[in-house]
Amino acid sequence: MVRRMGRLQILALVLIAPAFAMGTEPVAQITTDSRDYCRELALRLASMPGATSEPARSLAEDGLRLCENGHPRSGVARLRRAIRAAQPEH
Amino acid sequence: MRILLVEDDAEVARFVRKGLAEAGHNVEHAANGRDGLFLAASEPFDILVLDRMLPGGVDGVRLVETLRAQGNRTPVLFLSALSAVDERVKGLKAGGDDYLVKPFAFAELLARVEVLARRPTQEAPATRLRIADLEMDLLARSVTRAGKRIEIQPREFRLLEHLLRHAGQVVTRTMLLEKVWDYHFDPQTNVIDVHVSRLRQKIDKGFDKPLIHTVRNAGYMIRAEA
Amino acid sequence: MLRFLRSAGFRFALLFAGIFIGAAALFALVLWYATAGSLDRQTDASVRTDALGLIERWREAGPGAVAEAIADRLASDVEGTAIYLLLDSNGVRLAGNLDRWPAEASPDAPWSFGTVQREGNLIDARLHVLELGERYRLLVGRDVGEKQALRTLLAEGIAWAAVAASFVALVGAAVLRRAVEQRLRPAALTAQAIAAGDLSRRVPVSHRADEFDRLGESMNDMLDRIDRLMAGVRGVSDSIAHDLRTPIARARAKLEEALDGQAAPEALRAAMEQGIADLDHITRVFGALLRIAEAEAGARRAAFAPLDLVPLLAEVAEFYGAVAESGGQAIAIELPARLDVVGDRDLLAQAVGNLLDNALKFTPPGGRVRIAARAPARDRIDLVVEDTGPGLPAADRARAGERFFRADASRGTPGSGLGLSLVRAVAHLHGGDLLLEDAAPGAAQPGLRATIRLGIA
Repeated sequence: MVRRMGRLQILALVLIAPAFAMGTEPVAQITTDSRDYCRELALRLASMPGATSEPARSLAEDGLRLCENGHPRSGVARLRRAIRAAQPEH
Repeated sequence: MRILLVEDDAEVARFVRKGLAEAGHNVEHAANGRDGLFLAASEPFDILVLDRMLPGGVDGVRLVETLRAQGNRTPVLFLSALSAVDERVKGLKAGGDDYLVKPFAFAELLARVEVLARRPTQEAPATRLRIADLEMDLLARSVTRAGKRIEIQPREFRLLEHLLRHAGQVVTRTMLLEKVWDYHFDPQTNVIDVHVSRLRQKIDKGFDKPLIHTVRNAGYMIRAEA
Repeated sequence: MLRFLRSAGFRFALLFAGIFIGAAALFALVLWYATAGSLDRQTDASVRTDALGLIERWREAGPGAVAEAIADRLASDVEGTAIYLLLDSNGVRLAGNLDRWPAEASPDAPWSFGTVQREGNLIDARLHVLELGERYRLLVGRDVGEKQALRTLLAEGIAWAAVAASFVALVGAAVLRRAVEQRLRPAALTAQAIAAGDLSRRVPVSHRADEFDRLGESMNDMLDRIDRLMAGVRGVSDSIAHDLRTPIARARAKLEEALDGQAAPEALRAAMEQGIADLDHITRVFGALLRIAEAEAGARRAAFAPLDLVPLLAEVAEFYGAVAESGGQAIAIELPARLDVVGDRDLLAQAVGNLLDNALKFTPPGGRVRIAARAPARDRIDLVVEDTGPGLPAADRARAGERFFRADASRGTPGSGLGLSLVRAVAHLHGGDLLLEDAAPGAAQPGLRATIRLGIA
């Protein structure tokens, strides 16, 4: 039993070692592929004047649904397109 | 005559030396070009007889060129086993006066040596050649014997002139071929004999003392006494 | 193997493969620059523009405005590749979508490639660091993961293309090598056969008239010439064996006989004289042989000079005329006013002399020998010597130019059998030939007409 524990520890060490070898700091992570950011974008859209017009509204709905279903990246992409669409033409 | 023979082949040298000595000449011999050049440059000779190819760094052509460069005008006869025309021309250009290809008859060598050695140093512009009662006028291009005019063709005139210029000396058939006709090839037949006998018909026929004589095994000679 | 490497066919093939691969590599390089390179340049350009915009915001309105601009830009980044991070002087994150500063990005090297995590996967990113002042730091980047994938695809494509190109290069090289070898094979086989002793072989010529055919033709010309020379040498050695042995044997026999018995002094003397005469004859034959060899080898072309044939012919005719007169024969001369050639005076005189000598030997007393010259064409001169003798049968005419050949009919007359050989050699030397024919065909005594045809090139 004791021996078995030791093996697992060794395995864990082997798996973790490369992460330590790459540097003391963990790798920087992109934060915009998250449900939190979806909500942030949804709020931003809601504050825009063209938010209720098409196609921004349906794109936003689509995006939020994708985010809730665990596809934050696709969801964020829809929401961004919705924001684009909602922006007034220059 | 004092003759310098430069010849590396001992047998040929001995034979030539003996023959020339028997003909009454005084012969010095050198076996290589260096000695030959030394002798030729330091002592007076009437004629040099040179082998064209000699051992010792100085060959016949070089020897003559060196002598001529020093202003030595002694007549030179080349002996050579090289018969090619280029070689002959090279030898004569270098300052040689005559060129005899080996093997040769001694009579041929002797005749050429005597003609060369007694060659007048200056081609005196003689206008008349005479022997006994035969007289040749080079300007009028006429020939008379005992006062009687003899009709003679241009080539026969040149033949007779050559004989007269070397009166008392043996002139070989090859020499006549070379000097009178300027041919340097073997004419296959006795053409020279035919020409000389034609000339003889005109010069000697009807006179009790013949002037043109045949020298056995050698050639022809024009002289006054029989 | 080394022999294989040294083969010209192999080197040509190698050259071909090298050029082909070089061209392919250049092509791939251009392709790479235009695609993958252009993707990189596009990325860098967009990062630079982005950064310039943010710096402008910084100058106009400070950190708050920059953070706002970053949020705006992230909100409308439809492609989802933008990366931003703005830190204040304490290293606190003010805006952006990275949770921390990446290790690869440092102000010392403003441009770098780094690795960031995205939904648990490590992806490549192009990173640009900007110092905004007041120890604020801005990172502008792009997720180049997709572009990297495109690059990999392109690289794979090029690698496959390189494999295909190498294959084509090798196959092409092999084909080329085979082609060269095949075109050279006939010449090589012929050369081998000749080296092995079969001089009759010739290089087959394909009539494509290309370089290989020209090579084959020159080889054949060379072989023909060698063949003729070999035949000549063979002929001479045969003839020397046959025709010089006889006089040498005769001289030797006479001298030995004289030495042996108790011969009278006069007899001894006569024998020795005869011996010398025989040796002289041998010397003359040698001289003639050397002269022919000289003419045939073309060695005397150095002595060529412009000359007028007419006086030359007249002189030779006059020279032999004396012989004709004494033999009761007549020489008729028909010459134009002038015939200019470039040639060797002495050899031409000897050649015509030989013909005249021959003619006079075979013409009976009272007969006539004609010597004529004319220029029937601009680049041709014919020198003709004709006699009224018995002529030569056709079979003998064909052999008459050979060294030492003597027709049976002439066995009784003096001569070495080299006269016509020399004439022919002189004619060849002057770019011409010797032609023999009947002077009066059909007559009981057809006579011989010998023509030296000179080509004036």
